Amino acid sequence: MLLAAWSSGDQSALNKMMPLVYAELHRIARRAWSQHPHSNTLQPTALINEAYLKLANAENASFQDRCHFFAVASKAMRQILVNHAKSRLSVKRGGEMANVSLDDVQPAVHQEAAQIVALHEALEALQAVDPRKSTVVEMRYFGGLSIEETAEAMGVSVATVNRDWRLARSWLIREMNRRSS
Amino acid sequence: MNPPPAWEEVERLYHQALELPVCERKVLLAGVSPALREEVESLLEADSNAGLLAAPPTHLAADLLDGQPGGLAAGQRVANYQVESLISIGGMGEVYLARDAQGRPVALKILRRHLIVNAQAVDRFETEARAASALCHPNIVTVYESGKSPAGLFIAMEWIDGSTFRAIMAAGQVEIAQALDWGGQAAQALSAAHTAGILHRDMKPENIMLRKDGVVKILDFGLARYGGAVGPEANSMGASGTITGTLSGTLLYMPPEILRGETATSASDVFSLGAFLYELTAGQHPFAGETPLDVFEAIECRPVAPIGSLRTGVPQEVDRLILRMLDRHPSGRPSAQEVSEVLAVAQASA
Repeated sequence: MLLAAWSSGDQSALNKMMPLVYAELHRIARRAWSQHPHSNTLQPTALINEAYLKLANAENASFQDRCHFFAVASKAMRQILVNHAKSRLSVKRGGEMANVSLDDVQPAVHQEAAQIVALHEALEALQAVDPRKSTVVEMRYFGGLSIEETAEAMGVSVATVNRDWRLARSWLIREMNRRSS
Repeated sequence: MNPPPAWEEVERLYHQALELPVCERKVLLAGVSPALREEVESLLEADSNAGLLAAPPTHLAADLLDGQPGGLAAGQRVANYQVESLISIGGMGEVYLARDAQGRPVALKILRRHLIVNAQAVDRFETEARAASALCHPNIVTVYESGKSPAGLFIAMEWIDGSTFRAIMAAGQVEIAQALDWGGQAAQALSAAHTAGILHRDMKPENIMLRKDGVVKILDFGLARYGGAVGPEANSMGASGTITGTLSGTLLYMPPEILRGETATSASDVFSLGAFLYELTAGQHPFAGETPLDVFEAIECRPVAPIGSLRTGVPQEVDRLILRMLDRHPSGRPSAQEVSEVLAVAQASA
């Protein structure tokens, strides 16, 4: 299976898997919506877990598979959210033609979208400085993994993830502040 | 690919410093090169406001899950309307140009599904649909229909080919005769709403449009209330983001009694209209300020300069009328009906 191929280091398997993860997340998202129309707290993590169960038969997959899956899925989620944020931000808001006023609501969606795009760019800069820390952030923030899960998935100690996460956050916040000023 | 040694040094000092009390960090960093110290200190500073990555982007995720990033596609149907293009987008929903079955243009306002879970958003949406459809006046936007569709809640309303007064005032000074005409139309609309027992409660240039043929239209009855007096609206403003979002923009038209948390009455609408009329005729806002606090203070206690002191050609009775509309005491303000009458007379003799 694809997952097994990927965990044995086959880069082309990863490339094949990304669109699958992407499509699966979208599909789950649509279904989640129709099943739980009143849930306003659908989180990326829940999606990734569900996608994992779907794509990799969890009972057959090795622990390694699971960890690798989360790494790939976190990357996919980052890509999905950043793309979505960009499409949101590109829609012209208000302006001369506004027939009905929507101006007085500063939508949380737009705030988050702007933040995600800024974070994404700062994360690319961090990647150049310290790739491991950018992976930690990707898994923690975009993948929604806990400190422990991240440590497992990366094969490093919990203490290391803790330290990486803290420094990475400070670094990213500083970077984002510098870019916005 | 290992990080450069300097980065490892930064990392080591950063974690070492975090374990020390703030006062001892300086001692630790005193012994290193200025560049390294600056690097570590700026990271420690960022650490203290690290709330940024604390919460996942749930709104964005929910928006994504909604399945239609960027809104409805052209050609898509919502009830009996066919979507043409997205006009504007905001937290309360989206507005599209659409066509009805006869091919007439309509403005289709849609409250996206993931916002339906927000009771206040629904409340506001339904209020708008109800209030505007209860009113039939040439200067109030006409609501054709409202209801539910798979895309979300929708309101189909009159398409207004024109611009908001925010845009008009931004484009330059308005002629006095025109200001009197437009102000009079807005006052007539407000008077009709008040006669029907409906308060607008959000009168401001963003909510008043001028159609290309010169007809003024009042929009957005999303905060409207029935039956005159209602309680203070701290919750509805906070939840809709009015206060936190564009505080100063909305604040500029808020009467002092509302700022004090008192009950909104028809006189509150008159005050907001007065602030708009002042801006329209004088070319500057009566309560302009650098910060929200300045605006707050101006509304509460700064004397309003007569328009005649800023611009010549404004009839005295109009100047007096607008100053009365801005009276700090609701009881000192004219009714919307009186405003429209005075403006009509002034216009006729201008």
